[in-house]
Amino acid sequence: MIDGMMAIAILLPVAAGLVTFFVRDYFARNVIVIVTAFSLIANSIMLAAKGPFTYTPSGFDWGILITILDYAILFFYVYLGISLRNWLVVTFAVTQIIPLAYFEFVMKAHVEVAPAFVVDNLAIVMTLIISIIGSLICIYALRYMHDHEHHAHLEKSRQSRFLLWLVLFLGAMNGLVFANNMLWLYFFWEVTTLCCFMLISHDRTEIAIKNAARALWMNATGGTAFILAIIYLYATQGGSQALSMQNIIGGTLQGSVLLLPVALLCYTGCTKAAQMPFQSWLLGAMVAPTPVSALLHSSTMVKAGVYLVLRLAPAYAGTYLSTAITIVGAFSFLGASALAISQTTGKRVLAYSTIANLGLIIACAGINTPLSIAAAILLIIFHAISKGMLFLCAGTIEHQIWSREIEDMEGLAAKAPLTTLITAVGILSMFLPPFGMLLGKWIALEASYTVPLAAVLFVLGSTLTIVFWTKWLGRLLQVLPKVGRPFEKLSLSYSFPLLTLLVGIFVVGIGIAPIYQSFISAATNNVIAGTQVLASGWNILTSGGAESGSFLGYFPVWTLYIVFAIALVLPLFLIGLKPTEMRPVYLCGEQVGGADTDDFSAEADIRTKVTLGGYYFQSAFGEATLNPVVNTVAIILLVSMIACGVILR
Amino acid sequence: MSLIHTSRIKSPWILHFDNSSCNGCDIEVLACLTPLYDVERFGMVNMGNPKHADVLLITGPVNYRTARVLRNLYDQVPGPKMVIAVGTCASSGGVFHNCYNVLGGVDKVVPVDVYIPGCAARPEAIIDGVVLALQKLAGANL
Amino acid sequence: MKHVMIIIFTLFVAPIIGGLLFGIDRRITARLQGRYGPPILQPFYDFFKLLGKERIAVSKLQFVWIYAYLLFMVASLLVLTLGSDLLVLVFLLGFAGVSLVLGGFSSKSPYSHFGANRELLQIMAYEPVLLLLAIAVYAQNGSFLISDIIRQPKPLMYTLWPLFIAVIYVLTIKMRKSPFDISTCHHAHQEIVKGVTTEFSGPYLALYQLAEWYEIVLVLGIVALFWTSPLIVGIIIALAAFLLELLIDNVTSRMTAPWMVRLSWTFGLILGIFNIAYIYFTKGVS
Repeated sequence: MIDGMMAIAILLPVAAGLVTFFVRDYFARNVIVIVTAFSLIANSIMLAAKGPFTYTPSGFDWGILITILDYAILFFYVYLGISLRNWLVVTFAVTQIIPLAYFEFVMKAHVEVAPAFVVDNLAIVMTLIISIIGSLICIYALRYMHDHEHHAHLEKSRQSRFLLWLVLFLGAMNGLVFANNMLWLYFFWEVTTLCCFMLISHDRTEIAIKNAARALWMNATGGTAFILAIIYLYATQGGSQALSMQNIIGGTLQGSVLLLPVALLCYTGCTKAAQMPFQSWLLGAMVAPTPVSALLHSSTMVKAGVYLVLRLAPAYAGTYLSTAITIVGAFSFLGASALAISQTTGKRVLAYSTIANLGLIIACAGINTPLSIAAAILLIIFHAISKGMLFLCAGTIEHQIWSREIEDMEGLAAKAPLTTLITAVGILSMFLPPFGMLLGKWIALEASYTVPLAAVLFVLGSTLTIVFWTKWLGRLLQVLPKVGRPFEKLSLSYSFPLLTLLVGIFVVGIGIAPIYQSFISAATNNVIAGTQVLASGWNILTSGGAESGSFLGYFPVWTLYIVFAIALVLPLFLIGLKPTEMRPVYLCGEQVGGADTDDFSAEADIRTKVTLGGYYFQSAFGEATLNPVVNTVAIILLVSMIACGVILR
Repeated sequence: MSLIHTSRIKSPWILHFDNSSCNGCDIEVLACLTPLYDVERFGMVNMGNPKHADVLLITGPVNYRTARVLRNLYDQVPGPKMVIAVGTCASSGGVFHNCYNVLGGVDKVVPVDVYIPGCAARPEAIIDGVVLALQKLAGANL
Repeated sequence: MKHVMIIIFTLFVAPIIGGLLFGIDRRITARLQGRYGPPILQPFYDFFKLLGKERIAVSKLQFVWIYAYLLFMVASLLVLTLGSDLLVLVFLLGFAGVSLVLGGFSSKSPYSHFGANRELLQIMAYEPVLLLLAIAVYAQNGSFLISDIIRQPKPLMYTLWPLFIAVIYVLTIKMRKSPFDISTCHHAHQEIVKGVTTEFSGPYLALYQLAEWYEIVLVLGIVALFWTSPLIVGIIIALAAFLLELLIDNVTSRMTAPWMVRLSWTFGLILGIFNIAYIYFTKGVS
C-alpha cells in the first residue's frame, strides 16, 4: 500500500514524463498527462488521509542508482558549461563533483540511513501543494504550449520535450519533500535544478539559454554548499546517522558543530528560493513559458528552498543564526517589494512578489516561535495557490493580447472580462483581507516583534506590496463607459485549472480554521512544539499574550468573508445599469463622440485618443537605482548568516 | 420628499464655465466666493467638475467652438440642474452678438433657467440670480 | 446583546458625529478665513441633495468600489468599537483605501487616474505608521486587542507619545488637509479637478461622503486610543487634534506628492522605530 503510494508520488511522474517524450500525438499526450495529474491528486489526498509514516524502499539498491545519476547530472552540467562557454556553470559543477568524489572514494563513506523517507504532516502539506497545484498547472500547459508554438510558428513541435521535464519535475519535488536521507535529498534537489535549466531554456532563444545558465550556476552554488554540509556532517558527527534529516533536527547530534552545516544548508535554501542577492536568476527565468513560471518559480520549486529552511528550523532555534536568517528573509521581502513597483512586465512583478513572499516565509522560519512557524506554513500554502493562479492568469492574458506588458493590459476588463475577473480576485487575494495570504501576513506581523528589526522590515515591505498590486489591478480595470460585456470563451485546459484554483482560494480561505486544526497544526508541531494559533469555530485566535491564557489577536474569518461578499460581490450582481445612464468621462467637455468615447479634440480640433500610463517610479524604485544597494546589503547579510553558523549562542 | 427638497435648495454646487467672455463676469463670480460676499454660507461651493454640480453658471457668448463644449458639459451634469446665464453676453450675446464666430446667448445651446443681465453682473445680482434659480427649483418640484 | 448595541450605535450615530465634525470643520475654517461659513448641518444637506440626484455612471465597476470603500470603512470602525484586533483594523482600512484607488482607476479618465495614483501614494505614506502603531501597542501591552488597550490603567500616551506625533501626520493625510491634500480635497479646489472622485456623482458621491464621515470618526477614534482611562480625556485629545488639523490646514498650502511620502516616511519611521526600540530595550520581549 505504502509502496504503491510512494511509487505513484515519485516514480509515476518520471515514467509519465518519459512516455510523453516519446509520444508524438497531441491527444494521446494530453490523455497521459491528465491521467497522471489526476492520479497524483488522488494519491496525495490518500496520503493525507493516511497520516504520517516512514518508508524505506527495498528490493533494489536505490543508493547506487542515485549516486550514478548524481554524477551523470553533474557531468552533464560540465558539458553544458563547456558547450555554452559559461565558465561559472563549469566551475560550480566541478565544485560539486570534487567533494562528491572525495566523499565517495577518499572518505569511503558508506551511507545507510533508515528510514529513507519520512512522510510527516509537513511533508504531507507540501505534497498536497505539489500534487494538486502542480497537476493543474500541467493540465494548463497542454493547451498553452500548443498555442505558444502556434503563435511562434514552430514547424517541429517540442511539446513532448517540455512535458517530459514538467511532469518529471513533480516526481522530483515529491521525493524532495519526503526525503530523510540527505544524500537522496541532494539528488532530488539537483534533479529540480536540472528541470529548471531545461524548462527555462526551452524556447532556445539566446536570452533563454543565458538566463537558464544563470539559474544553473546560482543553484549550483547552493548544491556545492549542500555537498560541503553533507561532508562536514558525516565527518564531525560520526557517520551515517548524521545524514538523517530527522536526526539533524531532532537534537540528538552535537549542537556545537551542528550550526555550520545547517547554515550552509540554509544558504542552499536561499539560492533555490532566489533570495537576494540571487534574485536575478528568478527574474531571468520569466522568459520561459508561463507554465514553467507558475510551476517552478512560484508554487513549487522555489518552495523547496523555503521548505528546507523551515524544516531545519529546530536545528537553529535560539541561536544567532536564527536571527540572521530572519534578517536575510525580511530584507529580501522589503527589497523585492520595492523593486516590484518599477516593473512594467506582469511576470516580473509576479516574480519579485514571489521573492518577497519567500523572504517573508524564511523570516518567519527564522523567528522560530510557534506563531511564526504557523504563519510560514500558511503562507506557503496560500502563496502557492494564489501565485500559481496569478501566473496562469498572466499566461492566459498573454495568449489573448500577445503581450506581457502591463501597459498593454489596460482595459482588459472590456476585452476579456472572465480572465480579468479571475486575475482581479487573484491580485486581491495576495494582499487584502479576508484572504489567506493576508491571514498569514497578519500572523507573521503578530509574531515579528520577537525580532523587532524584522517587524519594521515587514511593515515597510507590506506597505510597498499594496502599491504595486493596486497599480496593476487599476490598469486592468480601466474601461470605457459601456454597459454589459459578455464573458469570453476560454479553452477548458485554461479555464479548468484557473477556476479550480479560484475556488481553492475561497474554500481553503474560508475553511482555514478547521483545516488548520485538522492537519496544519500538526505540521507546525513537526517543526516546533506548542501552538499559538487556535481555531475558534471558523475564526482564528492567536494566543500568547502577556498573561497566560490571554489572547494576542483575533481574525474573524467568516465575518470578513461576509463583508467581502456584501461589499464586492453583491453590488456586482445587484446593480443594473441602463445605457441612458452612461456618460463620458470628464475631458473638460472636449470629448468627441458618444458616451463610450475616449477621443477628444486637441489643439486645432485634431481628434486625439486619450492615452494614460501607469506610474513606475523608475528613478526611486528602478533596478538601476536599487540593485547596487540591495545586492550589497544582501551579500553582507548572507555572509553574516554563514558566519553565525560558527558562533553558538 | 421634502428632506431631499430642502437639501437641494440649501446645497447648490456650482460649475462655472466661461464660454468666451472677457472675464469680467468671471471675476465677479470669483468675487462671490471671497469673504466679502461669501456664498459658501448658502452652501454654494464651486466644483470644477460637471458630474458634481447642480447649477451651471455660464458666462460669455457662445461661439462655434464652445457650443460643443458647453453642450458636452451640460449633458454630463446629472439632474436636477439649473442653468444660469451670467452677464449680458451670456444672455444674448451682448456687444458681440453679431460677430462672425458668435452664435449668440447661451440659450442657443442649452435651456436657461435664469438670466442675470449686467456687464459685468454685480456679485449681488449673481447671488440674487442663484437664489431665484433655487426658488424655481423648489417651485418646479412641488 | 452589548455587542448588538455597540454595532447599532456605530452604524447610526457615528456618521452623524462625522457629519457634524465636517460641518464644524467648514464653519471654523470659514471663520479663520474671515467669513461666515455654511451652517453646521451643511454636510447633511449636501448628502441628501446628492442622494436625490439622477444616477449617471461611467462604468459599473465604480459602483462596486464605492460600496467596497464604504463597507470596509464601516467594518474598520466596527472593529474599533467592538474592541477587536488593531492589526485587522489597519488591514481593513487598507482595503478601504485600495477600493477608493481602484474606483478611481476604473474609468479611463485622466483626472481620475491622477487622483488615484496620488491616493495610492498617500496610502503608501501613512500605512507604515499605522502598522508600526499596532506593533508598538503590542510591544507595550502584549496583545493586539483594542479591548486590552481600554483595560490598561496606564494610558498609551506615556510610552507611545512619539507615535502619537506620527499619527498626527496620518490624521492630516486621512482628513485630506493641507499640506497633504494631494489626491482630492474638500471645499473649492480644482487643481486636478476632483482627483479620485472626479467620475463619481449623485448617489455614489453621497456614499463616498458617508464613508468619509465614518472615516473621520475612525481616525479620531484611533487618536483617542492613546488615552483610554478615562476615555473622555482621549476624546478631548482627539478633538484637540482635530482642531489642530484645521489650523494646520489653514496655514499651509498643498505640497507635492513625493515630498509628502518622503516626509511621512522619514518622520513616521524615525518616530516609530525610536518608539519601538525604546519599548524593546526597556521592557524586553513579552
